[in-house]
Amino acid sequence: MSDGAPLQVTDLVIGYGSPLREPLSFSVQPGSVLAIVGPSGCGKSTLLATIAGITPALSGSVTIGDRNVTSLPVNERKIGMVFQEALLFPHLNVRDNVAYGPRRQGVDRSHAREEADRLLTWVDLASLGDRSIEELSGGQAQRVSLARALAAKPDVLCLDEPFSALDAPLRARLAEDVLAIIARAQIPAIHVTHDPNEARTMTHGRAGGSILSM
Amino acid sequence: MKRNPAPFVVAFSASALLLAACSSEVASEPEPESTSTDPVTVQLLTHDSFALSEDVIAAFEESSGIEIELVSGGDAGSMVAGAILAAGAPTADVLFGVDNTLVTRALDEGVFEPYTSPEASALRPDLADQTFGGLVTPIDFGDVCINLDDTWFATEGIAPPTTLDDLIDPVYSGLLVVQDPGTSSPGLAFLLSTVARYGDEWPAYWQALRDNDVAISGSWSDAYYGDFTFGGGGDRPIVVSYATSPPAEIVYAEGEPPETVSTSTMTDGCYRQIEYAGILAGSDDVPEAQQVIDWLLSPEVQADIPLNMFVFPARADTPLPEVFTEFAGLVEDAEQLPADFVAENVGDLLAEWGSVMGR
Amino acid sequence: MPAIFLVAFLLIPLASLAAQIIGPGTAGYLFDALPWQVAGLAAVQAAVSTALALTLGLPMANVLTRYRFPGRRWALALATVPFVLPTVVVALAFRALLGGTLGSGFMIVVLAHAYLNLAVVVRIVGARWVTIDPRTVTVARTLGADTWTAFRTVTWPALRPAIASAAAIVFVFSFTSLGVVLLIGDASTRTLEALVLRQTSVLLDFQAAAVSAAIQALVVGSVLLWAARQRASTVGGAARDFFLIRARGGSRLAVGLVATATLVIVLAPVLALVWASVRSSGGFTLAWWSGLFGSNTIDAGSTRIGSPLAAMGRSVAFALATGAVAAIVGGLAAMSILTGRIGRAFALATALPLGISAATLGLGTLLAYGRPPLDLRATGLLVPIAHALIAVPLVVAVAAPTLRSADPRLVTVAASLGASRSRAWWTGYGPAMRTVMVAAGGLACAVSLGEFGAASFLARADGPTVPLVIARLLGRPGEASFGVAAAMAVVLVIMTTTLVAAVDRGGDRGGDRGGTRV
Repeated sequence: MSDGAPLQVTDLVIGYGSPLREPLSFSVQPGSVLAIVGPSGCGKSTLLATIAGITPALSGSVTIGDRNVTSLPVNERKIGMVFQEALLFPHLNVRDNVAYGPRRQGVDRSHAREEADRLLTWVDLASLGDRSIEELSGGQAQRVSLARALAAKPDVLCLDEPFSALDAPLRARLAEDVLAIIARAQIPAIHVTHDPNEARTMTHGRAGGSILSM
Repeated sequence: MKRNPAPFVVAFSASALLLAACSSEVASEPEPESTSTDPVTVQLLTHDSFALSEDVIAAFEESSGIEIELVSGGDAGSMVAGAILAAGAPTADVLFGVDNTLVTRALDEGVFEPYTSPEASALRPDLADQTFGGLVTPIDFGDVCINLDDTWFATEGIAPPTTLDDLIDPVYSGLLVVQDPGTSSPGLAFLLSTVARYGDEWPAYWQALRDNDVAISGSWSDAYYGDFTFGGGGDRPIVVSYATSPPAEIVYAEGEPPETVSTSTMTDGCYRQIEYAGILAGSDDVPEAQQVIDWLLSPEVQADIPLNMFVFPARADTPLPEVFTEFAGLVEDAEQLPADFVAENVGDLLAEWGSVMGR
Repeated sequence: MPAIFLVAFLLIPLASLAAQIIGPGTAGYLFDALPWQVAGLAAVQAAVSTALALTLGLPMANVLTRYRFPGRRWALALATVPFVLPTVVVALAFRALLGGTLGSGFMIVVLAHAYLNLAVVVRIVGARWVTIDPRTVTVARTLGADTWTAFRTVTWPALRPAIASAAAIVFVFSFTSLGVVLLIGDASTRTLEALVLRQTSVLLDFQAAAVSAAIQALVVGSVLLWAARQRASTVGGAARDFFLIRARGGSRLAVGLVATATLVIVLAPVLALVWASVRSSGGFTLAWWSGLFGSNTIDAGSTRIGSPLAAMGRSVAFALATGAVAAIVGGLAAMSILTGRIGRAFALATALPLGISAATLGLGTLLAYGRPPLDLRATGLLVPIAHALIAVPLVVAVAAPTLRSADPRLVTVAASLGASRSRAWWTGYGPAMRTVMVAAGGLACAVSLGEFGAASFLARADGPTVPLVIARLLGRPGEASFGVAAAMAVVLVIMTTTLVAAVDRGGDRGGDRGGTRV
């Protein structure tokens, strides 16, 4: 993958109607992770939602490289998201779930499926492509969710407490996998968590890794 | 774990049902003072338009020791259809409300058991021989007549029509609403009236009505409350209804009954519908059923009929309420067709009517 | 148990009727063009009615069942009201509102049908829609789908079976419509149901009627079969939770718009009724209302109308009984879908009553259970049973889409913890069942409150239900007749709304997930 562009957030004011907190500014380099830590209710999920475009910002800007995405709708920002629940589409099998992004970009079905298989290999689930999503364990489902987000070739990857629903050993393993994938994909990533240890894991000793406490 | 509401609902509904059943029983049947054995229950099968005063029924139950249970069969046609299908093993003891368009068919299917009531000698002369060999007894009759909105005609300065022929006069173009004879009993009666009047030329008459912009409605309610100018807010001041509609307007007006009403009937071209009662063949309580037939012809019931069912009593010399004598259309020579002619041809008549009127 | 119910109260009456009617010449009637022509007309009308009902009902289903806003429960209950109004009342109200511009005929019939069946779409589709996690739509958008594409590729596949069920039921109701087409229809809106009535009670041509009824049953059966096929290819996915959305920003406007539009559409004919109930030739009056409740009730002392209060009590009692029976029978039938193909076929069979005309059912029931040796009329149960027969397929349609997507793993978990088979079943499906059953029971109550056809056969002549009273009042002249009928119709509306809202409250307690912001 070619080098991506950095994410730049400038004076971003988040909130629903009235500001939740003071304006935020930060940037994230491609291939590195910004971990956002804080207790529940402090607005970390809202921040992600605002960056992704799910919720409108009250003011400020979000740019990816030289692309200003602040006023773009969600589907045009090319910001991938992984949530706490996998939220896989029940009517599609694993492969077609992953292929969803490429399909929306106009890729024809067989190429999209090839791409999906490639990404499933990235997340060590190459053999599960034909399975129904009900057959997956929690950890497997999250990997599929990750693969699905990546298949759409996003410019930024946002993860909103992606491991909170999983147990500790799984968490550690997946954290390693995510870090490796981000390094490989060379895109900026934001990782939201309520667990300071996890934040440290995701950023400690990594190039460009930093922690934002909210 | 929340409590399962189902048993509660079932218990509640069961008790509610019980209550409702009990209350309706109590309302309609006071304890008869029977002298000897248990009271016999006579089931009287009627249609939706049946009505009698509760105290008239109660008085009979007291004096005779017979309990009357009113059974519903839907509208008149459905009731007769049900009786035909159940012929021989009936769902009731006495049937009331088969009219002259349907009676022949019921007779052919052996629905009734013969009985000539002693009260039948008191029938009006023109109804005295309408018993079809003693199988049914006429109880009341009604006339389906054109009704007119006099206020409308007075305001417009047009003389209202007085005969069937007037209705095809261009003066009255777009002013008439009739009901579809395939779905409405008065609609069918009006069609039969034109057949009686014009014989084989009746399709030409209806074609003329169609050229005169007649409106066709699916039911009496829709025509009277939807299209009729009087009280309905419609735009047609001429409607097919009953000779007793004007008095009904007085009785069912707001507050004190008004002195007059602004609708009247056109007495030409009315069709007479006669209602009969009969004992259903296969009934277990024939003697009691006979008493009920006698009772239906009794002066008490016959005098009760007009203000309950808005038809005329079959018994001669029954006093009519004032609203009837003053405002109802009292028709001397209504149109009638022989019952077996109607039974045989109604299908063809309806089909031909449909093709003339484009329905 | 549902099988016994069906056999006893559907098959036996039909068989009794068929035994009387069907003879050697009956098959010949199949070659008569008339019933087939009428079937074609009715199919066209029903298709248009269905399309209109979906167009109006889907946004309502979306907003009323999924979004949190004040008065939501009442709005949902109100949307069920048209379903319960007797068709006589709706037809006249529509005539009053729109008759001036539209007259009788196709357009007004189709509008009336869409109005009457909004509740079907809202309830059946809504019950499924509310179990779809809205965040899957958000995910789809982050993957590049615009709003419409996200709906098409994520929501629609999950909704399709429920929409198919709802569409099938609306089609069937419109296809078998009687009251509306008789009152405000014309030659283009003929239905087989009306033809059967005519052949039975005017022409007394039972064999032709039997053939017409059979053709109707055939069409209805095919439609329901098609709908069942759609359901069979349904989506899995854990759907034990309900997702209620608190609208923000732009979607707030849309929610408000739809909710308001719902109120306007549903209430307009009702308001026409309220208006009629306080008007007389002398202007504004309360005479009709005191005619209902005062000491001098209309027709006091006559058997025809009886006490309006008694009629209301009777209607409520029948409705509750119907709701209970239909919920139990329908719930069991819906669960049988999960047991495989036979179960699915059986659930389909419960929908047969929808295709059998009320007149046929009433006549058959009378023949089977209205005379010695087995005369059930005195028990007062015949009306709720007949109503339950009509309501059960609705219960199944509401329950099935949600049930199929409930998580079977819970059953396995419960069993592994030592629960007996039925207990494990209940643990696994109980929560989803309970809430859905209550919603379905509410719909069944609504059906019973407004039903006219079967009740006219099976209720005592001096023990009418509210719709029967209204019909009797409308069957004769006099402004009191019309005014009191309008007042009773308003009472019916209030009764329904309250009953349905109360039932919904019981159901909602089952599973409110916290508001999920979208």
